Amino acid sequence: MDILFISKYIVVIALIIMMLAALRASAYKSNSMGLLGSSVVVVAFAMVLLVGGDIYNLEFYKDISLALIFFGFIGTVAFAAVLGGNDE
Amino acid sequence: MIKYISSALLIISAFLIIVSAIGLISISKDTKNAVYARIHIVGIFDIACIIAMIGLGQYLLAGIYFIIAPFAAHAIANAYWKKEDRENNLEEITVEQEVDYNHPFIHPKDKMQAFESEDSEKLKADDRFSVTTLEIYEGE
Repeated sequence: MDILFISKYIVVIALIIMMLAALRASAYKSNSMGLLGSSVVVVAFAMVLLVGGDIYNLEFYKDISLALIFFGFIGTVAFAAVLGGNDE
Repeated sequence: MIKYISSALLIISAFLIIVSAIGLISISKDTKNAVYARIHIVGIFDIACIIAMIGLGQYLLAGIYFIIAPFAAHAIANAYWKKEDRENNLEEITVEQEVDYNHPFIHPKDKMQAFESEDSEKLKADDRFSVTTLEIYEGE
């Protein structure tokens, strides 16, 4: 088999492990840990879509991946701004 | 040749992702500043994702994520520092309440604790009253 093909699958497996670890970490006691875990899960899922689109030649997966990364960042920053409150 | 470089980048990123996953869940919750440590570990995951994006040929996406990832990490750390970090800025989070020592029914906590302590002179002088205490543990 092609080494590039195998390495893509290795990345997908590593990303799935990272998603499970982030889900566990997001269950810790503070709200910030939930925010951190959810942002990691979103980015990991976007990376899985990116690799999957590269394996199966699906171009629109890359667009979905870009949208996930961008809007995941916006959601993380917005939630953190609400959580942090106003500067006094 | 480019195929081997891409494969090497993807395998390096997979290794970094697994290392960061192990680090993320291996930090004990009793560790001091555990949230900041986890945010730091997620930084490794971000860079691993950028390496994987470069390996897949998505240079623009890698550049965008390289710029926005520190902003997200800083936002989370800043929110935690302002509202939830009780280890490092305890005096800023503690709300000072106005205590009315002359209120007939509501007694301040320190006054009741002094009264309930074994060395209290009031309790020794008058042992007709039995004082029960109810301890409230406030979870974080």
